[in-house]
Amino acid sequence: MGSYACSVRGYALTLLIGGVAAGVGSASSVSLEPADIHLQSPGQTQRFLVAGGSNCEATSADPSVVRVDAQTLVARASGRARIDVDCAEGATEATVVVGESAATVRIGFERDLLSILTTKGCNSSACHGSPAGQNGFKLSLYGSDPRADYEMILDGHGGRRVTLDTPTDSLLLAKPAFRVAHGGGQLMTDESDEYGTILEWLRQGAPYGSAGTRLERLDLHPSERVLEAPGSRQSIVVIGRLSDGTTRDMTDEVRYSVIDEAVIELDGPGAVVAKDPGMTTLMARAMGKAATAQFIVIDADGEDALEAPEPANLIDEHVFAKLRRVRIAPFPVSDDRTFLRRVFLDAAGVLPTPDETRLFLSSADPAKREALIDRLLERPEYATHWLVKFEDWFRNSQYYSQGRTNGSFKRWLHDSIREDWAYDDTVRAMLTAEGDTTVRPAGNFWHPAIDFMLKTFEVEKAVPTITRLFLGQRLECAQCHNHPLENLTQDDFYGLAAFLARTRVKHGYGQYRRVWYEDRRGEIEHPVTQETVPPRFLDGELAEIPSGTSRRAVLADWITETQELQFARATVNRVWYEYFRRGIVEPFDDFRSTNRPSHPELLDALARYFIDSGFRFKALHRLILNSKTYQLAAHTEDRPGGENLLEDALFARYVPRKLPAEVLLDAISEVTGVPEAFRNYPPDTSPKELIASIGATYFLTTFGHPRRDIMGARNNDPSLSQALQMMNGDVLASRVQAEGFVLDELLNQGLGDKKIVTALYERAFARVPDDEERRALAEYLANERDAGRDRRQALANALWAILNTKEFQMNL
Amino acid sequence: MQLSHMHTPYSRRDFLRLGGFAVGGVSLPRLLASSVGKSDVSCLVYFHTGGLCQHDSFDPKPAAPREVRGGFGTIPTTVPGVRFSELLPRCAKNFDRFAVVRSMYSLEAIHEKAKQYAFSGQRPNNAYKHPVYGSVVARERGARNGLPPFVVIPRKDICADPGFLGSAYAPFITGDPNKERFSVQDLTLPTGLGLEEARGRAALLSKLDSRLEALEKSGVVGSMDHFYQKALDLVRSPEAKRAFDIGAEPESLRDAYGRTTGGQGALLARRLIEAGVRLVTVFHGGYDTHSDNDATNKKLYPEFDQAFSTLLEDMDSRGLLDTTLVLAIGEFGRTPEINHSAGRDHWPGVFSIAVAGAGVPGGQVIGASDAMGAEPVDRPVSIEDLGATIYRKLGIDTHTEYHALGRPIRINDGGEPIRELFG
Repeated sequence: MGSYACSVRGYALTLLIGGVAAGVGSASSVSLEPADIHLQSPGQTQRFLVAGGSNCEATSADPSVVRVDAQTLVARASGRARIDVDCAEGATEATVVVGESAATVRIGFERDLLSILTTKGCNSSACHGSPAGQNGFKLSLYGSDPRADYEMILDGHGGRRVTLDTPTDSLLLAKPAFRVAHGGGQLMTDESDEYGTILEWLRQGAPYGSAGTRLERLDLHPSERVLEAPGSRQSIVVIGRLSDGTTRDMTDEVRYSVIDEAVIELDGPGAVVAKDPGMTTLMARAMGKAATAQFIVIDADGEDALEAPEPANLIDEHVFAKLRRVRIAPFPVSDDRTFLRRVFLDAAGVLPTPDETRLFLSSADPAKREALIDRLLERPEYATHWLVKFEDWFRNSQYYSQGRTNGSFKRWLHDSIREDWAYDDTVRAMLTAEGDTTVRPAGNFWHPAIDFMLKTFEVEKAVPTITRLFLGQRLECAQCHNHPLENLTQDDFYGLAAFLARTRVKHGYGQYRRVWYEDRRGEIEHPVTQETVPPRFLDGELAEIPSGTSRRAVLADWITETQELQFARATVNRVWYEYFRRGIVEPFDDFRSTNRPSHPELLDALARYFIDSGFRFKALHRLILNSKTYQLAAHTEDRPGGENLLEDALFARYVPRKLPAEVLLDAISEVTGVPEAFRNYPPDTSPKELIASIGATYFLTTFGHPRRDIMGARNNDPSLSQALQMMNGDVLASRVQAEGFVLDELLNQGLGDKKIVTALYERAFARVPDDEERRALAEYLANERDAGRDRRQALANALWAILNTKEFQMNL
Repeated sequence: MQLSHMHTPYSRRDFLRLGGFAVGGVSLPRLLASSVGKSDVSCLVYFHTGGLCQHDSFDPKPAAPREVRGGFGTIPTTVPGVRFSELLPRCAKNFDRFAVVRSMYSLEAIHEKAKQYAFSGQRPNNAYKHPVYGSVVARERGARNGLPPFVVIPRKDICADPGFLGSAYAPFITGDPNKERFSVQDLTLPTGLGLEEARGRAALLSKLDSRLEALEKSGVVGSMDHFYQKALDLVRSPEAKRAFDIGAEPESLRDAYGRTTGGQGALLARRLIEAGVRLVTVFHGGYDTHSDNDATNKKLYPEFDQAFSTLLEDMDSRGLLDTTLVLAIGEFGRTPEINHSAGRDHWPGVFSIAVAGAGVPGGQVIGASDAMGAEPVDRPVSIEDLGATIYRKLGIDTHTEYHALGRPIRINDGGEPIRELFG
C-alpha cells in the first residue's frame, strides 16, 4: 500500500463523512461505493465513497472485524462485518468480507508481456520482429512464437536482458525507457503502466505462465460525476477484483490519465479537481486492465431552474434531464421555416420547393410538423437519400466488384428502405447470403472482403466489418494483437473468423460475376498457436452448429437475437449520428468499456424502442424527427451557436453541418433548374442514383463522395478544393450562365430585381431575404448597372453569391 | 473520428475561442498556424506509376541470362565501375548529382497497396488509412507563400490520400501540364468574367455570409471561411498564378524537359517548389509492363531520363537542389525473369530508387541486389527506412504521433534514415 494521507481521527468507530461532492440534482438513493468489498486479509484497507448522500455517518457493526477509519475500511480479523451508512437523504448498509491470507497477483509472459511487446511495436516487422531482428535481439512477428521469444529474452545477450537480482537494470526495461541508447527510441516512461507491469513480472521471477491469482477487473468510483467549476474536489476510489474473488484497494497502484486536462486534473492519487466547464473521461490502468469515469464540469454561475421545451417523447426526457443536471438550457425550438428546410434535407435529401414552403407556413394545424414528417418518410426521395448512407455503410463500391452487381445490391437495399423491412431480417439475409449476386443481391455484402487481386474471400477483412457494422465494435486491432485495454483478444478474433471458415466465392461467367456458397469443409487456424479454432462467440461461448445449419446462420442468429440489444444499440447510434453528427457513443462505431456513451439510458431506451418497433427504421426516424431535441434551433439572435462545446456534446442544439456531396449537387440543380448530365446516364439522374462510383465526378469526390474502400464515416470536412470548385468550378459557372432555366423564367415573367432575388432566396433558403441582405443585393445590382454591365449577368452573379453562401451549403 | 496531436502547441482555450474542433482533422488553429520550423527543405517526388524495372534502369545485370538481363545493354556512368542501363544515358552523365539505392524492397505486390505503402511509409492495414507523406508535411509544416503545401501532378491518385488526417490535408491537383491548353482546375475565373466583376460578386457574397457568421461560431463555419479566404488569395495572387503558369517558361527549356507528362510535370513541379510548395509529386504512368517490356521501355525510359536529368540540371543551376529533396521512386520493381508475354510482372523483392538534393552526396550506390536482380544481398532498405529519411530531411520528427481511432499512430514505424544520404 502506498502512503495515503488520510486524517486518522483516533479510533472513533463512528465518523462524520462528506458525501460525494456536488451531485447537482442527482438521485437521492444512498449507496456505499464500491460494492462487494472482499478484503484478502487482516491489515488490508479499502477506501470508500458514499454516493447520493450528505452529512453521512458510516458505522461498523463489528469493529473487531472491520473498522471505519475516516473514509477507509480497515480489516482487523477474518470474518464479515455490516457497515451502516446514515445520511440526511436516507440510509443503506453493505457487508464487507475479510479473508485469511493475501494472494499475489501473478503476471505471466505469454498473457501480459507479449501484449506489451506487441502494442509497443517491439515485435513489428520494422523492429525486432523483422526476419533479421534488430541489433541481435529478434522476436517473432507479433508474438507468433511465444516460447522462442521467452527464451530470447531470458537467455539471449548473455542474460543481460533480464537481471532478476536488480530488475530495474534489465535491458528489457532500460532500453524501452531509454535509460540506455535504443534504436527504437523511448517507448515507455518509468511511470507507465507497461513499465510497472514488466517490473512486477521481473520481481516475480519472470515466469512464463500466469498460474495463480490474476487481476480480472478494475472499478473506478464514482463512475460519473458533475462538478462545479473551478475547484470542486472529488475523491476517487479504485478497486481491483481478483480471480480468487477477493478485492483490493488499488487507488494508489493504478496509472491515471485524463483525456481532457482542461476539464479536471488529478490531485494526488485519490482525488480530482474541477477546472474549466466541459466533459471528460478519467481512466485508471493497471496490469492490462482499465476503468473509466465520466466527469462533467459545469459553470458555477449557471442557473438551476432553466427553461426547456415540453418533452415530446423519450428522447427529450433523457436529453433535457441531462442538460438540467449540467445547468445548460436547451436552445429554443426552431421556427417553421428553419425546421422545414432542415427536415427536408435530413430526411429526404432535397430542398422544399417554394410551393411546399408556402403550404407548410400557411397551415394552422398544430400537428403540421408531425404530418410533414409522415409525408416525407413516404416520399421516394426518403428511400433514395438513405440508400446512399446504406451504400456507405455496406461499402457498395465498384472497387470490389467492378460495378456489375452493384446495381442489383443498390436496388435491393433501396427496396429494404422504401418498404421498411425489419432490419434484423435484412442483416440476416446478408449474413447468410448464398448464390449468384446478380440474382441474389444480398451476397454483395461480402464483396469488400474479396481480395482484389487474388479474388478469394478474406476472412480477416470480413470479421471486423461484421462486428463494426452490427455490434459497433472494432476488432481490427485484435487480428494482430490482444487489445491492450479491452477484453478483446486474438482468440476472440479467430473464434469469430471460424464462423466464416467455410464461406467461399466463385467467379463464374466472366470475371464480374460472383457466386457465394458454403463449403462442407474448412477450418481456421490460429496464427500463433497454429491450432484449429472452433467457432466461438465474442462472449467466449463455444457455438453449437446444428446439422443442416451453416455456421454463418448461427452467427447471424447470435448477432440479431442473442446480441439483440447491442445490435440495436449499434444501429440506433448510427442513425443518431446521421442526424446529430455525433453518436451517443462517439465515434459511432467504437463501443468499448473505455469509451462511454454520453447518455447511456437514452441509448438503451432508443435501442429498445427500435426492437419493439420490429426493427423498423421509419419508426426510429419518426421518433427522432418528432423530438424537440432534433427540432432545437442551432442558434438565436442573442445566443450564438458553437461557443460552448458542452452544448454540442450533450445535444443542446442542432449542430449545423455541410450538405453531403450528392445533396449539395441536387440542391444546386434544384435552385438553378439546371440538371446535372452524367455520362452514360439519362438526363435528370440524381447523383444518388449513380451505380457505385461509376460516373462520380470531380465535384462529387471533392465534396466527399467516398471510394468506400475502408470502413468509417464519410469525410465531410471543408477543403480548399471545395472552395475553389464553388467559386470558379464548372458546376456552378455553367448553371448560372445556362439560358432557359429558372433565372430566365423569372426574367421572362417580367419581374423586377427585388422579386427575382426574393424568389431565388425562397428556392435556396426557404425564406425571404432580411433587410440587410435585401439592401446588399439591391446595392450590388445598382452598382453593376452603373458600371454598365448586363442585368442578366448581374443577376447570374447574385445567384452565384447565393449558392456560394455557407448557409446554402449547410443544413442549419 | 477523434484526432488530436500529441504535442499540439495550442491549448484547449484556443479551440474554444476560435470555436475550433478537432474532429476529422480540421482544427482551425492548426490550419491557421503560420509555418515555422528549423528546416525549410522541400520535396519533389517523381513517381514511376507501375514500378521502375531495376534491370532496365539503375541496376542492370549484364552477366545474367538473356531472359533476366533483358534486351538492353549497359553504359558507364560518371563513377568508374558503376553502369546504368543504356536507356538512361543522361542520368549516367548526371550521376554526380544523385545517389542510387539498389536494395530497396517492399512487402506489397498489388499496385494499390504498394503505392499506399511507398507513399506513406506505413504498410496498409485493415484498421485505418495512413496519411501519405505530402499530407503529413502539409499538417506539420503548413502553407508557404499562400500556396497549397501539397500538390499532385497531373491527376488524383489513390496514393495521394490524406487518410485519417482528413481532406484538409488532401493534395491540390493541377491537371496535365503537357496538355495544349493547360490551366489548373478551378484556379482561374470562368471565361467571360472580368476581374472587377469577380470582385463585386465576392464582396456581395461576404455580405450575404455575415449573418450566419455572427450567429454560428462552430468550427465548420470557421474552416469553410478559412478555405474561401485561401481560395480567394490563390485566385488573386499573381505569385500563385505565376507558379502554375508553365507557359511562362522559355520554349527551349520546355523542350529540354520533354513534351511529355513526365517532362512538363517535372518542370511545373520545379516552378511550384521554387514558389514555396512543400511537397510536389509527379505521377508518370506506363511502367506496368506485363507484356512487351522492351518495346514499352524503349520509349518510356528515355522520357524519364530526359525529364529527370533536365530537372536536376535546372534545379542545380538555380540553387534549388540544396533545399529540395528530389526522389525518383516507384511502388516496386519488375520480375527478374521475362514472362511468356515478353513482359515483366510485379516484383517487390528488390528495386532501385534515385535520390538527390538536400545534402545527398551524389555519385554513390547504396546497397546491392543479387546476380538476378531479385533480392537485396547488401544493406536492405525498407520502405520505412525511406520514410524516415524523407521526414529527417524535411525536419519532421520521425517519432511524431497522431492520436486517431482511439490509438496512438506513429508517422513512421521504426524506420532508420539511410545514413549514406546524410553526407
